Order: sequence, then C-alpha cells, then structure tokens
Amino acid sequence: MNLPENPNRRDFLKLGALASLGLGLSAVPSAEAKPDPRDLKLLDAHDISATRPRPAGNKPVWDLTTKPLEKVRVAVIGLNRGRSHVNSAANIPFAEVVAVCDIVEARAKGAAASVKKITGKEPAMYFGDENAWEKMLERDDIDVVFVATPWEWHVPMALKVMEKGKHAFIEVSPAVTVDQCWQLVDMAEKTQRHCSIIENCCYGEEELFVLNLARQGFFGDLKHAECAYIHNLGGGVLWSLGSEGDWRRDYHRFMDGNLYPTHGLGPVAQYLNIGRGDAFKFVVSVSSPEFNLTQYRDKHQPNNGQHKDEKFVCGDMNTSIIKTQLGRTIMIQHDVVSPRPYTRINALCGTEATFFGYPARLAIDADNKHPMLDPKEKRSSHAWTYEKEKLTNFMKENQHPLIKKIGELGKKVGGHGGMDFVMAYRMLDCVRQGITPDMTVYDAADWSSILEISARSVKEGSMPIQCPDFTRGGWQTIAPLGIVS
Amino acid sequence: MLTPESHSRRDFFKLSALAGIGGISAASTAEAKPDPAQLTHLTADTIGKTRPRPAGNKPVWDLNTRPIGKVRIGVIGLNRGSAHVKSGSLLPFVEVVALCDILDDRAQAQAEIVFKNTGKRPAIYSGDENVWEKMVDRDDIDVVYVATPWEWHKPMAVRAMSLGKHAFVEVNSGVTVDECWELVDASEKYQRHCPILENCAYGEEELFVLNLARQGFFGELKHAECAYIHDQRHSGTYTFLDKQREWRRNYATFMQGNVYPTHGLGTVSQYLGVGRGDAFKYAVSVSSPEFGLSQLREKTQPNRDRAQDQKFVCGDMNTTIIKTVLGRTIMVQHDNTSPRPYTRGNMLSGTQATFCGYPNRLAIDEDNKHPILDPKEKRNSHSWTYEGDKLTKFMQANAHPLIKKAGTDAKKVGGHGGMDHLMNYRFLDCIRQGITPDLTVYDAASWSCLMDLSDRSVRDGSLPIAYPDFTRGGWQTLKPLPLVS
Repeated sequence: MNLPENPNRRDFLKLGALASLGLGLSAVPSAEAKPDPRDLKLLDAHDISATRPRPAGNKPVWDLTTKPLEKVRVAVIGLNRGRSHVNSAANIPFAEVVAVCDIVEARAKGAAASVKKITGKEPAMYFGDENAWEKMLERDDIDVVFVATPWEWHVPMALKVMEKGKHAFIEVSPAVTVDQCWQLVDMAEKTQRHCSIIENCCYGEEELFVLNLARQGFFGDLKHAECAYIHNLGGGVLWSLGSEGDWRRDYHRFMDGNLYPTHGLGPVAQYLNIGRGDAFKFVVSVSSPEFNLTQYRDKHQPNNGQHKDEKFVCGDMNTSIIKTQLGRTIMIQHDVVSPRPYTRINALCGTEATFFGYPARLAIDADNKHPMLDPKEKRSSHAWTYEKEKLTNFMKENQHPLIKKIGELGKKVGGHGGMDFVMAYRMLDCVRQGITPDMTVYDAADWSSILEISARSVKEGSMPIQCPDFTRGGWQTIAPLGIVS
Repeated sequence: MLTPESHSRRDFFKLSALAGIGGISAASTAEAKPDPAQLTHLTADTIGKTRPRPAGNKPVWDLNTRPIGKVRIGVIGLNRGSAHVKSGSLLPFVEVVALCDILDDRAQAQAEIVFKNTGKRPAIYSGDENVWEKMVDRDDIDVVYVATPWEWHKPMAVRAMSLGKHAFVEVNSGVTVDECWELVDASEKYQRHCPILENCAYGEEELFVLNLARQGFFGELKHAECAYIHDQRHSGTYTFLDKQREWRRNYATFMQGNVYPTHGLGTVSQYLGVGRGDAFKYAVSVSSPEFGLSQLREKTQPNRDRAQDQKFVCGDMNTTIIKTVLGRTIMVQHDNTSPRPYTRGNMLSGTQATFCGYPNRLAIDEDNKHPILDPKEKRNSHSWTYEGDKLTKFMQANAHPLIKKAGTDAKKVGGHGGMDHLMNYRFLDCIRQGITPDLTVYDAASWSCLMDLSDRSVRDGSLPIAYPDFTRGGWQTLKPLPLVS
C-alpha cells in the first residue's frame, strides 16, 4: 500500500458500485476512507491521562460470557502477518476458516489454497481493493475476525467488526493512539463483543513458564520487570516494499517514542497482574538520537533511492519506565535499527527469585522455600541457580498447563516457534466455550497506549505522563488471570 | 562508626587539645561528625542550577603540578582503603607515609603490611574520630586517600585540599549536589586534584571498550546502560544488618534513589566523553517498592544493632535514565537487596557495534569497516559476533595500552581483579609526572551527584531533574580523554 494522497478521500464511487451489487451495506452506510496515520488524533499531556466516563448503556466486558459454539468460524484480514493465524485456525479441529481477505489477490489465493489443502474446504476470498474487507464483514457466518493489517487500519476495521456483531482479534499494536484505545474499549463495551490483542509473545514457552511460576508465588513479592522489542529491522523489513516497508517506516517519520511496546510488555504485564489487581500509573520516556535508518538509507539507497527525502525523527533507542499503582517498576525498551541481536529481555524480579531471558536464567533466593524446589539444594543468590540445560529441565518440570496440553502440536504447526498456534488455539477455545479470552480489550488498550504515552513524554522532555484507566476502576477488583489450560 | 546523636556538635575540647600540640593552623577547628540525615538537599528548581565560580578560583581540568620523584601518600579509612595501602606500598615511586583509622588494630595491621612490603613503617593515626585531622596536617604528604563512610568524604577531602594535598576520594565522592559543588570549589580554590577513585574505570573490560570507543569502532554512540546490582543482604561474613554496615544501611532510611551510581556510570561516562564534549542534561528516576531490607530483618531475628527500629524508604530497584546534551541516553540501575547475580551492565550501543557485559558480548554491524576488523570476515548483526573464547581473543588483541603496560602486574597485586592497583598506579603516576589524572573533580561531582538527583526525581514523582554543569561550560571545549598509557 502506498501512502495516501488524500487522507479525507471517501470513495463514494466505490461505495455506490458495491451497493448496486446488493452486497448488504446497510448498517454501515459508507466505505471507510483509507486512514492516514498523520491524521491520528494525538493528545496533550492533560487529555492523554484523562479517564473518560463510560458512555450510558455500555457495560464492562472483562467477564463477558457468550453462547458456547461447536465450531468457531474465523475470517482473517491481512494475509502477510495474518497468514500464521490462517494456518493455526486451519489446524484447529473446532475452528473453520470461512473467509480470507487481502488487498493483494495472490496473497488471498495462496492463503485460501493452504486452507483447502489442510481442511478440504476453500474459504471465500476478498481482495483487490482497499475496501474489500467491508464486504467480508457483511457475512453473517463469521464469529471472529483477525485484523492483521497496517497499524492505521487496526482500529477502523476492529470497530466495524464489532459493530457487525463479531469478535475482533487485533494484531499488535491494536491501536496507535490513546484516543483509539478508548474507541476500542467503548465499542467492545457497547457491542458486548470481545476485542482481544493477539499478543503471541504471551504464549511463548518461556513466558508461560515465568507466568506459571509467578502465579504460584515462586518469585515472592514482585518488584520490577524489564522488557523490550529490540530487533534489527533497519537493513531489511523496514525497506521491504509490498510488505511492512510500505507503511511501517512511516511511523518513524512523525513519532518519537516506543513504537512497538506490546511484545515485551504483554507478558510482563501479565506477570504483574496489570489490569487485575495492579495498574499502570505513569510513564517516563527518553529517546536516543536517530542515526541508523538515515545512515542505512544514505549508504545503501534502498529501492533505487526513492526514500532519499524521508526524514526520520524516532530515536534509535527508546527507554521508558512505567510505575504501577502498587509501586512496581517496568523498564521497557524499543530499538529496531541498531546492530545487535534480538531480545525481549523478559525479566522479572521478586523478593524470592529473579528471571532473565535472552538467554534464560533463573536466580533463586537462598531462603526460597517454594514446594517445587528441592529443600536440600544449596543455593547462593550471587549466581544463577539455573541456566542452560539445568534450567531447561526445570522449565520442563514446571511447564504451564497450556504448553503441556498443546505445546507439541504448536511446535509442529509452527508460527514463531509455536506461540502463534498456542495463542490462536487458546483464544478460539475461549470463544468456543463462551468464556472471556485471557487478553481483553483492556489489555489491548493498556499495552498499546504506551506507544503514544511514551511519545508524549519524549515530546515533553521526559515528563512523567499519567496513564488513563481503561478499566475505569475495574482493575481494583478484577481477579488475576488464572492458570488456564 | 555510630550514627551521630547530634549533627552540630563541635568538639572544642578536642580541638584545643590538638591546638596545644601545635599542628592546627590553616584549618582552625575540628570537623564535627557529619550527620547524613542533615545533608542539604535542594529542590527541583535549585538542584540543577550551575553556580558561579567564586572569584579567584580557576579550573583544574588541565592542572599541572611540579613533577616529583616520590609520591608520598596518607590513607584514611583502612577497611576499603586497604587496597590503596597495598598498591602504594608496591609502587616503587610511592611512599606510604601515614595511615589512619578509627580502629587501632586495623591501622596496625595495615602498617605491618607496608612494613613487610617496603621495610618502612608508616605513622599511625587511630583511636578517635578526629584523628585524621592530625594526619592531614603533616607537611610530608602529597596525596590523601579518603576511604571512609560517605558522610566523611567531603569534609575530609576539602580539608585535605585546604592543607595543600591532593584528595583521592572513594565512591561516592559527594552525597549531595551541594557537597559536589564544595568539592569542585575547593579543588579550584586550592588548585589541588580531587579525582574520584572509581576503580571500575580501570577494569580490563571497561578499558577495552574505552579503547574501541576512542578509536571510533562503535560509530556514532547513542545509548549506554550500567548498573550496580549487587546482593549485599548477605556479603561475606556479615549481613546488611550488622554493625559494619550500619552507616551504609542508614542511607536507605532517608534516600530513595540510586544510592551508589558511580561504579556503573563512571565507565560509560568515559565511553561517551561526558564532561569532555558531551554533558549530562537531565535525569528521570523511578524506584520500585522496598522489600529486601525489611524482609531480611524479619527473617533474621533477633535483629541486630539498631535495624529493629529503622524504616527503610529506598526502593529495592532504582532505574534512572540520563539524557545528555548530545541527546544520548544512559540507563543506570541500582539494586542491593534482590536475589540475583552481580552486574554493572557495562553496555554501549553505537551505530556500528554493540557491547554488553555480564557476560561480555560484542555485536558488529555488517557495514563496520574499522581497520582492526578482518575485512574478509562475514558478519550478521542479528547475533553476537564475538562472545566466549572468541571475544577473549579479540579483547587481548585490542587491549588498552594501560593493560598492555601494567595489566599483568596489576593482576598479581590484585584488588578487585587488579583494577584497584591499575587505578592507583595510573593516578599516582600522573601525580609523579605532574599531569592531570584521568578522573578529575568534575567527574567526581557529575558522577556522584546522581545520588541526590535521582532521589530528587523519585521524591517529585519522577520529574526530569536538570543537571548542574560542574565544568561551568568547560565540557564544550575539553578534549576527550586520550588513550593514556
């Protein structure tokens, strides 16, 4: 997709053409204009922190139950990133891939063919123009729509999905702005549909292991966590036309903050029960200068030099600290351009133990008396108690029930080492049972909101920016996420 | 040493007794025992103010002194100071003239070591809290090492300088911004050196990274990370509750930020040329809740000393981010009470390479064409280029000149793996030659003052706190530290 020429364009001609085909455009009278990320509504330091009142008639969805289903009918929009969800759903016996949608015909056909190969049934295909997804949403045989498109499309699509009575599962970050986060919360509460962030990293084997230990009190009192999205994309993905290079680099031109907070933050927010007994209180954020995207562009002139006039404002390394209502701290970083290996850090510090990822290491206090530990084992908290093979064994013995149940299948189906499958399986199983998925619209809003809040802090010279409360006080009484299976 | 009962007591009786011996002239009164709880903490508005240079004072960043054949030293505080005594007694161009400690047996033991190493017995000052004043009154001492509890650092250093000696001050050199200004002003008034004894700046790994950074190996520098993470709840034969730790534990009852910033910060400041082409601009700081000391006390019944009644306010984990004038970022952490292995972080991120310590790892960009690299080597910045044995070899091949010259000797002498000796060798050699030591009073002030600035930020809800400029503009023209040998 190219950058829009006219952000306010509404394609009435297209709308008229679709309407004349009788495709059921009734509740939604106009086609969505292509969103221009530069038109996003960014808030000042005061408005960004305000908790908005719940519109009359809306009800919380944190414990929303729905009618149990035998078969969960799935549709997917955006078949680059969404291809993994298509593959997962096609491999889940209680799910059916009903429809797939992409602007590129070949991608839609490829996804449909793979579903047919796995299940014997070919899903409907929607492709070829930017509003084809709206036609797909008119169908009345879809329960869940996965939204896996460029970021600026997430919210408009998810809102319409819910308006049409479907659950929306949105890729990361579900929203770019705090205003969009509120739109998602309000629409989920209005339509009583689930609007989950599909944060696959919450279903990684290591993350589930740490969550399992944390829920069992292994870490003692939790005090601090660290996380990151450090992934060198600056010599590849960010310039890749026909893919994320079409739109993702653009955010580096007008936002300076943590542009991609949720991969790291989702899991540690779950460890700390954010939104369920604790909540984000404020954020301070500091960015380094910008160097690497500009230097790479000038040196390599990717795509025949067509990006030579782009000016990047997003600092290479953003470091933010979140303070929670219970006083805990979360250090969160973002760097997608520096020459260094991938890490999400994935650290959790408690009074009785400390875990770090990349590589995984676990230090256990000499006084930790948790029943899963051998009481005869001598420990020193000055060294990692378990790492490498010793840790692998300990992880296997204390694995999260979800991994025990479908971890092997997940590895076979694949998708980021299986986490995509485990996530899709668990989320769709919740919809099948009619229970609330592990990740709610409040998680989607909390985790995504750090994007704009960090950028606001950077803009204000690293002033602390208070976080709005998307649960409107609910976090104080919502029970922690159980150890699900 | 006990916590003082009265901060304003002046021991006039003792003073007159000393005056009767005839040694007190330039400094006319005995120092009262300083009470850290009475230190001057400034407000957010005033703490970052750069104070005007008092009339008659002159910068000391390029201070030259008369070369001397033998550098004569006195050491106050023989717990931590014992490493400096050892170094001094083993350096041929140094003479340990005098030793001072409140405990006579400590002083006697150190004197014995000097005697064993040199055949000469230093003068001993022991037995009362003001006995150090007699020592700094001697006219045969060039350098006074100050290795006492933090609250004594500034008064001792200022008095040593006022009596014509260079003051080498242990970390932290000053507890407050106010004290840091007193050190700078005294150094500039008396034209004496007042370097911070930051031994970590002379670690083999740190000097290797500095060597690479000075040669441009990292490209443009953007971000650094450092820490003092050291579980001191149980340290050797005593715990944080014991009498030997009382003065240090005391700081956890009234300071809330990073109470020990310089071990991590000193070295990364040198990488970035802070004070020499760049400068700290502001700091934001966030602390986790306090658990560690309180729980240690509950577990370690019966409580020892006065810990029973102490209320600890210093959060277990403090995370601070510093922004520099050139826009770079430094993350600094402090945690003394969590179950996890030691780390100083020691991380440097540039456009062409990334170094991380604990354990050491070096990632090098594909495009890095630095002459110390083999141009035929294929690299991939998605993984660590050098770690383990491969990095050890690369480090040896590119060791800092100081390590090449004196590293082997330093390891033999020991003291934190040799870094203590290497530092003492280098500092005392500078005095011998009459040149400015690598670390100046400006480094002492700008590194130490983070203790007060981070406390201020935490107290003010993590407001960004502006840094004072102890160089009064000098950083803009000072040249980066050369690769000394």
